[in-house]
Amino acid sequence: MENKVEKNDRSAFVSKFLRLLKGELGLILILAALMVVFSLMSPYFFTSRNLLNITRQVSITLIVAIGMTFVILTGEIDLSVGSSAALVGVATAAVLNATGSIFLGLIAGLILGVGIGFANGALTVYGRVQSFIVTLAMMGIARGAALVWTGGKPISRLPVDFAIMGAGYLGPVPVSTIIAAGVFILAFFVLNRTKHGVYVKSIGANREAARLSAIPVRKYRVLAFVISGLMSALGGILITSKLLSAQPTAAEGLEMNVIAAVILGGASLSGGIGTVLGTLLGAMVIGVIDNGMNLVGVSSFFQQIVKGVIILVAVLAKRSD
Amino acid sequence: MPDIALKLEGIHKSFGGIHALKDVSFELSEGEVHALLGENGAGKSTLIKILTGVHKMDSGIIQVRGKTVTIEDPVDARHKGIGAIYQELSLVDSLTVAENIFLGHEPSTSFFGTVRKKELIRRAAEYLLSFGIKIDPNTLVGDLGLGQKRIVEIIKALSINANILLLDEPTTGMSRAEIDTLFEIMDDLKIKKVNMIYISHHLDEVFRVCDRATVLRDGQNAGTFEIDKVDLKTLVKSMLGRTLKEEFPVREGRSSEETLLGIKEFKTDKMLAPISFSLKKGEILGITGIIGSGKSELALGLFGADRALKGKISIGGREVRLNSPDDAKRHGISFIPEDRKEQGLFLRLNVEHNICVANIDLAIKNGIISSKKKSEIAKETSEKLKVRPLDIKMAVQNLSGGNQQKVVIGKWLCGEPDILILDEPTRGIDIGAKTEIYSLINYLADRGTGILIMSSEFREMSAICDRILVIRKGTIVAELEGKDSSTEQLLTLALGG
Ligand SMILES: Nc1ncnc2c1ncn2[C@@H]1O[C@H](COP(=O)(O)OP(=O)(O)OP(=O)(O)O)[C@@H](O)[C@H]1O
Ligand SMILES: [Mg+2]
Repeated sequence: MENKVEKNDRSAFVSKFLRLLKGELGLILILAALMVVFSLMSPYFFTSRNLLNITRQVSITLIVAIGMTFVILTGEIDLSVGSSAALVGVATAAVLNATGSIFLGLIAGLILGVGIGFANGALTVYGRVQSFIVTLAMMGIARGAALVWTGGKPISRLPVDFAIMGAGYLGPVPVSTIIAAGVFILAFFVLNRTKHGVYVKSIGANREAARLSAIPVRKYRVLAFVISGLMSALGGILITSKLLSAQPTAAEGLEMNVIAAVILGGASLSGGIGTVLGTLLGAMVIGVIDNGMNLVGVSSFFQQIVKGVIILVAVLAKRSD
Repeated sequence: MPDIALKLEGIHKSFGGIHALKDVSFELSEGEVHALLGENGAGKSTLIKILTGVHKMDSGIIQVRGKTVTIEDPVDARHKGIGAIYQELSLVDSLTVAENIFLGHEPSTSFFGTVRKKELIRRAAEYLLSFGIKIDPNTLVGDLGLGQKRIVEIIKALSINANILLLDEPTTGMSRAEIDTLFEIMDDLKIKKVNMIYISHHLDEVFRVCDRATVLRDGQNAGTFEIDKVDLKTLVKSMLGRTLKEEFPVREGRSSEETLLGIKEFKTDKMLAPISFSLKKGEILGITGIIGSGKSELALGLFGADRALKGKISIGGREVRLNSPDDAKRHGISFIPEDRKEQGLFLRLNVEHNICVANIDLAIKNGIISSKKKSEIAKETSEKLKVRPLDIKMAVQNLSGGNQQKVVIGKWLCGEPDILILDEPTRGIDIGAKTEIYSLINYLADRGTGILIMSSEFREMSAICDRILVIRKGTIVAELEGKDSSTEQLLTLALGG
């Protein structure tokens, strides 16, 4: 009898370990391997300066990807994040220039992001159109609006103080890294320690079962898009702040990097499965590949191929049973 | 000595750390229907899936008619004449009956590689007719009831001209008439020299159609019996490893006189007719009827899941409006739905999540979930329901069918609700665990919970309910005291004889 208990303990341990390996631990190993390789290839790679630099480069992708994680967890997708970021950047800059107040600019940008997210959510949930279609349309609308608003030209001559968020440093640490870390901690908390997280995962895993588990499904589905809209807005503001100029063509293709980070992080496009820790690691893997290849001097054309291959390999490795 | 159609020897199979099959042997003689019995999680479905190549065994020998074979995958199994209907349905709802039947082995393709539709429908109709089944091959499978889906699943398995047919709990969700049809089909197949392995937790069915029975316990052989020479008690003892004292525990307490739930002329968009009845505090009220009589629609309606059209619901004397399951929960109603895969479970999520999701508030303090409390609730509930293996971090999809059902029940049990609605709660649950669940229902009722059980298992109903309402075509046609009712009486009333 005693023997049996012990064996059960061990088997539980084995399955726990396998579960970990398939989850975040596997990604950490991939990340570590990449870092070892790049350290060997470039002496500059593993310096605190460069590592902090990577976190700065990753911060915008990460913030938007965290919003995307909520949407993907509910089993939907948001293709409009890049365009929304650009439009929000333009709006923020315009309000800022018109009022002279950074605060009002930020508020306007964030509200616009929430509005776009709400429109995406309401059309998907109440209009019963697939989110792929809704957000594909929104992607065009938001980008078009940004271009029309600015006549295709960037809005520059923003007050220098505005650059602190995207380009500033607090000691050696980039401000945008701190903002991203804050967003990450908040999202981690919401998904793991609040009702919201339980509900979001349930909705993505089985919508009918979620409804019959007394979850207000529609509310939380719309909310996921709102969160994504808000995060895109924050991303758009950081991009504008970093460049000290609002470009209507900014963040083009951002949605691809963001979705790649989330999927790489172990989320399932059919919903229910995914963590923000995974998303963080996914974004870091992409960031390290970008940064490392630049340092090593791989041509930017070739970089895209390498990145694509690494993403495929990572996703396949994690899937194998 | 009869010829051996299929022989398994020394089969081992592990999933991660779980040893699901240990040195299992099995023999299927030509021309026999062989029952495979055992508790939930004993390894029955795993054995079936090894035979169809869904799972790879770790070691062991499979012989088909004396020849050792390896089965690569389900397509390979099909070529070797092995067909199966699995415990969980594998039909595609958005395709027609005909398309489903021939999915993956369409009878003939035209020059362009497209399926000849007419030919498909003709062949499907032929099959359905030859088994005397009245289903239009052009119907979408999504529009069929659960029992009819099972029949289609069987026809699909047969359409490959299987010589060995594996049936894993085929009667789940079937009406009596559909079960009779199934047994006729099986008799017919026996004449056609098809050999069958039959899995069921309904031992009466086993005595009706099987020749021999092999029992698995904890993934090991626990005995093989000739059905003519064995009795129910011996089989059950072999399955559980102990004798079952009483199948239906006797309830100590009784219902109070206080009315808890009052329903007046209530009807939703899905219900066939308005309904009125009341449920007392601490009462176990059964609602029975044949499949399709409107039990599930009533249950969903009372839980606020469908749109209410008319009538009144009052709880504790106060009239309430239930516009959503969320509303219903706030008024102390819990609901265990009939279809675990579609309505009950988050298959890819773990046991803990599945159990805690509806009552997550119990683990929340100041808006924050305590992981410790959450796992405590999950552990306690799974222990109470004897979910095996007891690993709350395991994805529910890796549990055996019966253990999944226990998790569905656990989801609402941990909340200690005022009113508990259960729709076919013991589906797929083994005979020992059923007793545990009846005890839990009794315990809740004794605490004062009003219990509403929808079930088409008449024996179960007359044994555990205080009062039974019989429903036919959406209308209540009779009311009986539980202890006064007999299975035959309920059947007659339900059918409208
Ligand atoms: N894919 C899987 N991954 C991990 N464990 C599994 C998997 N499939 C089955 N198991 C485990 O194998 C054991 C046997 O399961 P199986 O489904 O064969 O039981 P069963 O006899 O069919 O039970 P039931 O009567 O409940 O259907 C169980 O402990 C189950 O948890
Ligand atoms: Mg099974």
